[in-house]
Amino acid sequence: MLTFVIRRLLVTIPMLLVISFLVYLGLELTPGDAVSHMIDPETASRMTDEQFEELREALGLNKTFIERYLFWLGNVVQGDFGHSLSGGVAISTIVLDRLPATLELSVFALVFSTLFGCILGTISALRRGSLADSSLTVFGMIGVSIPEFFFGLVSILIFALHFDWLPVGGRLLPSYDSYFDHLPNIILPGLVLSMMMTAGVMRYSRSAMLDSLSREFIRTARSKGLPEWRINLIHGFRVALTPVVVLIGFRLPTLIGGSVIIEEVFQWPGIGSEFIEAVRGADYPLVMLIALLSVFAVLMASLIVDVLTALIDPRVRLS
Amino acid sequence: MANAALNRKFDRIRAREEAGQNTTRSGGRAMRKLLSNPLAVAGLVIFTIILLASIFAPLLTPHDPQKIDLRAMLQSPSAEHWFGTDRTGRDVFARILYGGRVSILVGLGSALIAAVIGVGIGAYTGYRGGWVDAVAMRVSEVFMSFPQIILVLLLVAIVGQSLLNLIVIFVLTGWGGMYRMSRARMLSLREEEYVQALQSFGIPTLKICYKHILPNAMGPIMVNITLTTAMFILAEAGLSFLGLGVPLSIPTWGNILNVAKDIRVLENNWWMWLPVGTVISLFVLSVNFIGDGLRDSTDPTLQG
Amino acid sequence: MSDLALSVDDLQTFFYTNRRCNKAVNGVSFEIRKGKTLGIVGESGCGKSAMASSIMQLLTRLSRIEGGAITYHSDRGDIRIDQLDRDGAEMRAIRGEEIAMIFQDPMTALNPVYTVGYQIGEALRYHTDLDAPARRARVVELLSDMGIPLPEKRADEFPHQFSGGMRQRAMIAMAMSCNPKILIADEPTTALDVTIQAQIFTLMNKLKEENGTAIMLITHDMGVIAELADDVAVMYMGNIVEAGTVDDVLRRPRHPYTRGLLDSIPVLGRGRDQEIKSIRGATPDAYDRPTGCQFAPRCDFATDACKVMPDEDTLSETHRVRCHHVRKVAENA
Repeated sequence: MLTFVIRRLLVTIPMLLVISFLVYLGLELTPGDAVSHMIDPETASRMTDEQFEELREALGLNKTFIERYLFWLGNVVQGDFGHSLSGGVAISTIVLDRLPATLELSVFALVFSTLFGCILGTISALRRGSLADSSLTVFGMIGVSIPEFFFGLVSILIFALHFDWLPVGGRLLPSYDSYFDHLPNIILPGLVLSMMMTAGVMRYSRSAMLDSLSREFIRTARSKGLPEWRINLIHGFRVALTPVVVLIGFRLPTLIGGSVIIEEVFQWPGIGSEFIEAVRGADYPLVMLIALLSVFAVLMASLIVDVLTALIDPRVRLS
Repeated sequence: MANAALNRKFDRIRAREEAGQNTTRSGGRAMRKLLSNPLAVAGLVIFTIILLASIFAPLLTPHDPQKIDLRAMLQSPSAEHWFGTDRTGRDVFARILYGGRVSILVGLGSALIAAVIGVGIGAYTGYRGGWVDAVAMRVSEVFMSFPQIILVLLLVAIVGQSLLNLIVIFVLTGWGGMYRMSRARMLSLREEEYVQALQSFGIPTLKICYKHILPNAMGPIMVNITLTTAMFILAEAGLSFLGLGVPLSIPTWGNILNVAKDIRVLENNWWMWLPVGTVISLFVLSVNFIGDGLRDSTDPTLQG
Repeated sequence: MSDLALSVDDLQTFFYTNRRCNKAVNGVSFEIRKGKTLGIVGESGCGKSAMASSIMQLLTRLSRIEGGAITYHSDRGDIRIDQLDRDGAEMRAIRGEEIAMIFQDPMTALNPVYTVGYQIGEALRYHTDLDAPARRARVVELLSDMGIPLPEKRADEFPHQFSGGMRQRAMIAMAMSCNPKILIADEPTTALDVTIQAQIFTLMNKLKEENGTAIMLITHDMGVIAELADDVAVMYMGNIVEAGTVDDVLRRPRHPYTRGLLDSIPVLGRGRDQEIKSIRGATPDAYDRPTGCQFAPRCDFATDACKVMPDEDTLSETHRVRCHHVRKVAENA
């Protein structure tokens, strides 16, 4: 098991390095002096030209590209992400500030879509050909066809504006005291974000279940006189779980990316909406670093999913 | 359980069989299967309607989608303006029709180009193997490690917004999927015996790869193209909604939706955004139905 | 009281796929004697597996038992299996505990994500009152009985860690776990090497002797029949064409098909130039069957009379044949 994890890590790290290299290339090529990545503009504005030049020497900015890259990389690994072009705030501060909001949404969407998708997909497979199955299939198709932000707009119109059941947007309002006050705010954006993923998981778990139920070992289980529920769940679903988990891992980038638009629609103060602001404002350091972080998140999540797959499926462990 | 219904069906089949009326049909199986799938047919119909409506826009509406008429601002639907007007008096129905041209062009066009590039590379490197294959795989992995939207926005930030830029960016972010799929197909197809036979005849690699093997993979490729088209249309809508896709001067479905960011418009002027969103959803839904139907009809492992 | 474990009477099982009706089993009758082995021999597609599935009510969704009777002679009395609800409590109680089955390919027949011990223990869980430690002990005992070395360790391993022969032994252990009265073996050695085959057969004979289990052995290999079977039934395209003791059928075959099968086996020692007679023609398409006797198109003795399905002729107390021209076949011996 441990060797499996180490092998996966060894594959992931070079990928991260390559991407970090590309990101740094982007940083160098876009407007904004390299120095501004390193020190905050406050201090920079108070420095004279000579001091600036000295600083450049000290930071080794007059060295070769590779050396500058490695220096920057060292900083990033230690948590110094440089500074935003607008306002000069340290990027790490921005990220830490906005991360909890995005995590809330993403985790909610992941858990919800996995649970619901699997349950609905299994029901669909067990009642194959029935009305329930056909309706769920069509619902699933509709779910992946409606633009997520449009669905968000419509749900705001219905649930927030029309019925006034849920708040229109935002996360922490001044009137909130405890942490739990803002939970209703998560519901709409969380559900909307889950929609496409749930539809995908539902359809995939349905076909994985159908495939699993057509295998020989199901016949063996039945020949032992086991009850139907045990055959379907303990044997059928358990084996279908592996491809479903693999699919969820595959769709994680989409989930992380999806939160970008949803945060904008619902005025959710997460990293996604921050990213859009940065793009609009041509704040290149911020754009680059958030992109790098998102890749990091995707690769780490893939690693975790791979480990999870190996845990639940003994065949994977030995390959 | 559905026993009773199943039993009746069996009785019918048995009766027909014993009367000698059953024959196994052959030929044109894929097409027949596609057309017998009600959802796929519905998809084809809806897709064609919307496509033709966009192409023949001038025949369907007398209004100019760009024409500003400040006397007719924010009008709800009427006989003259079927979907009402927007904030500067432009006819919404006309904008949807003409906007469809750009959206469909971007979606379908990018998907086709991405397919040509992705399949072209995937088929060749998959067949050859070796370091060429390894390099291509790594490159595609780099692209696919980014969440698509983040990569797109990143590139938009760098190269700026324009229609052409958007198509190029979409192709860059989308070729990976097609590449992976066609490479996987190639890996399994090249082990078939007829490939060995062709090789022993000394037929050049390119010819074997593109002329002989590739046609056998057309089924999944077509399915993938439809799914990629759906993905790009949704992506364009999302980006333009944010104001970061096609420049706002060109009407696209997403651009029209841009107005809905204002909550007053959301609440009071439903005709400016609800119809557009519905059209996008219907179009993507029809593409998905078609893709699903294609998958069912070209998959030999599915039984009747 | 009979010495019969199972009686099948005019069984018909039809398959419905692609909107066609395939009469896979079309009027089959036979008996399995207690503690004896009945061999069912026939080519692929003759319906032998369908017959086995019917007995266990393990048919697929798109098939059903059309008619006939399957009677299981249990200690509690006769039970009509064909009339039981497929997934009802009574049928489930019989499956695994009184009638068990082993399948052709043990690799696909075992669930890859659970340990072998777990899968063997499942039947015990549902058919016995043993608690967990007792079940574990029984599992280890079973594996050891089947000749698997280091059973304690093996019980915690996964199917893909076993070799082909060991997997089949594990399957047999699973089937025998509740001491069934009848064991149905559907081509148990087809997927295994010939050397392993011999081991499995020795094992099965041992089970028969020690536990008094009746075995229904399905195979396409006449050699296996000669080794293991007490009684034989020869199947062709959904019908039993000849049945009797192994002595009757193998030494005094009276059906042209049985003849053809026996004649087509090469004999060790006769040399390379021996004549191997094959049966002319090919098995017909399941959906496009000839009328009357199914074997007629390929038969050297066929006449117009064969357009009608022959009834069963009783040649002796044990020997039955389904052929219009039994005497001609006997004369040509």
